[in-house]
Amino acid sequence: MLATYAPLFLLFAVAAVLVLGLFFATPLLGAKVPPNAEKMLPFECGAETTGSRHVKLSVKFYMTAILFVVFDVEAIFIYPWAIQFRTLGWVGLATMTGFLATLALALVYCWKKGALEWEH
Amino acid sequence: MIPLEHYLYVAGALFAIGTLGFVVRRNLLVQLMSLELLLNAVNLTLVAFNRQHQDDHTGQLFAFFVIAVAAAEAAVGLAIVLALYRLRRSVRSDEATLLKN
Amino acid sequence: MGILLATSPLLIVALGALLVMLVEAFAPKLQRGELAWATAVTLVGGALASASVWMVGTVGIPGAEALAPYLLTDRFALFFDFTICVGAALAALLAGGYLPEHGIERGEFYVLLLWSTLGAMMLAGAGDLLSLFIGLETLSLGVYAMTAFRRASPRSTEAAMKYFLLGSFAAALLLYGGALLYGATGHTDLAGIGQRIAEGTASPVLLLVATALIVAGLAFKVSAVPFHAWTPDAYEGAPTPATAFMAVVVKSAAFAMMLRVLTVALGAKATSSWGAGWSTVLAPIAVATMTYANLVAGRQSSVKRMLAYSSIAHAGYVLVGVAATVRSSGAEAQAAVLFYLLAYTVSTAGAFGALVLAGSRGAESVSYEDLAGLGRRHPAVALPFALFLFSLAGVPPTAGFFGKFYLFRAAMYAEGSFRWLVVIALLNSVVGAYYYLRVLVFMYMREPAPGAPIAKPMKSAYVTAALVACALLVLALGLAPGASLDLALLAPARG
Repeated sequence: MLATYAPLFLLFAVAAVLVLGLFFATPLLGAKVPPNAEKMLPFECGAETTGSRHVKLSVKFYMTAILFVVFDVEAIFIYPWAIQFRTLGWVGLATMTGFLATLALALVYCWKKGALEWEH
Repeated sequence: MIPLEHYLYVAGALFAIGTLGFVVRRNLLVQLMSLELLLNAVNLTLVAFNRQHQDDHTGQLFAFFVIAVAAAEAAVGLAIVLALYRLRRSVRSDEATLLKN
Repeated sequence: MGILLATSPLLIVALGALLVMLVEAFAPKLQRGELAWATAVTLVGGALASASVWMVGTVGIPGAEALAPYLLTDRFALFFDFTICVGAALAALLAGGYLPEHGIERGEFYVLLLWSTLGAMMLAGAGDLLSLFIGLETLSLGVYAMTAFRRASPRSTEAAMKYFLLGSFAAALLLYGGALLYGATGHTDLAGIGQRIAEGTASPVLLLVATALIVAGLAFKVSAVPFHAWTPDAYEGAPTPATAFMAVVVKSAAFAMMLRVLTVALGAKATSSWGAGWSTVLAPIAVATMTYANLVAGRQSSVKRMLAYSSIAHAGYVLVGVAATVRSSGAEAQAAVLFYLLAYTVSTAGAFGALVLAGSRGAESVSYEDLAGLGRRHPAVALPFALFLFSLAGVPPTAGFFGKFYLFRAAMYAEGSFRWLVVIALLNSVVGAYYYLRVLVFMYMREPAPGAPIAKPMKSAYVTAALVACALLVLALGLAPGASLDLALLAPARG
């Protein structure tokens, strides 16, 4: 039982040794430079940091994201139907068409209401 | 094979954490996340129990519906939080004190 | 074809909702009042359809059982469909007057109202935990949005936030209880669950936890003490038509769900008997709900908030009936609950309607002082208001009196002793009369303080129509209550 997980534990051990080793080794191996303003900045892939920590996102991102999530999640209902497509037959197809038609109507509604407008 | 009880313990723990987060935290967004946690605990319970009752897939299908409803719930919840933020510039539920006895 | 006929009440409301939604999106220039009419007509259509299906008898329709257990079309569902549609139609008419008057005229309100009503009807007909959950969420999500409808008002948004958080939490409790029931029995349909529990094969620990979670979730939804905290805030902050919708439609649907779940799924001796089951828990909850709500309602200065507490108190009375349904004479208690909810629907919708009519833009009437002298200044508003308050207080010959009478009689004669519960309920009704009559005192015997802002009644054909309909129904149910009670007796909850 435990032997099954041996490679996993080995991986954890290697990761721990690597991380801790490098963490404590860098101050010993690296060049000693006195701290300066440039050095105290947060490290951001070498690029200059700009702007504040709190980035204001526009509401339009929210609208698009939430509409995406709501419509996206409905797709999971298509999956079980697709698996059982042959068993469910025409009744299943008709039901799914009705379901998708309702979703399409909802999309039309969102569109018409301007919820999909990116610029305004 | 992991026994059914283990799933149920994890689900119970998730539900407890969700409840605790919902009751203790006063940030609306964290409370919304706690609600999601509650629903996911339910999903785990349903899917785990489905293995015990293997003659159909009711539990798994139920979980699908819960996921879909959770998305709709999150949409409405976030919209309300957003509306509140626009008016109050705050997402803390303990600052909502206009309506009281 | 049979299935279309059997589900016609839901189909009418669903198609109406789609239509109103698209019309509202594609013809923004349309007079909003027309949407109010369209909504009310759709809902009256739904009510008439449920009445016609009732008359045909669902047993006689071939294919009516095709959707069982997900959507039952039994008489229990039809009775609630009727009550729900009537309540929702009244709320739509109130919105038709209220929204333009207060400058929040947007067509989405009617769409939300229709979809929520559909969710409520689904809830009344749900014979499976799955459709029950979907119905519940369809109902609730719409109502959260309706509560937040006055976007510029922090009170409205705050009310919606509180309602949303607690409502979703309650739904999660209910759902977790349902998941555990599924685990214990292997069924999600209520009848199957009930059967397995009766067989005694289900794990008692799971059943106990599941029942506790479900009863707590249900108590949240019907706003019973100690799970009532959201109710006064949500009712006060919401636009008044949304409040009326919550008070009548949401409450009726929640009680339909409660009755069906408790009697069909958890009705077996193991979960419902004294000493071990929900009936033991429900009786003290009923007492706490009535007593607390009545005591607090008397201390409110806002009439709207008083009506919110009054709705909690009425939930307490109904819980007395629900607790009695488990007894051998349960059918009578259940019929009394159905009748009570119908009587309560028309009285409460009327009371909120009168409150809407008594105010106008910038001078909305909410407090007792706003109503001072209304009886002399505007008798046409005060008179119906008085009628609905009498009905809520249970004064004969109004609908409310017979609602209480049947309810308490059924609990009185239920097997096992519910007498003490009835005595407490009667005492509570007397206390309740105090705060209803206080409104009358302000309307007829007080004059507004000099210089105080006076609520000016608005003029609206929609609200007037709703009030006339309510008044007729209150009097009809009060003068000939037997007919509706007989109908309710034909509508037991089944799996």
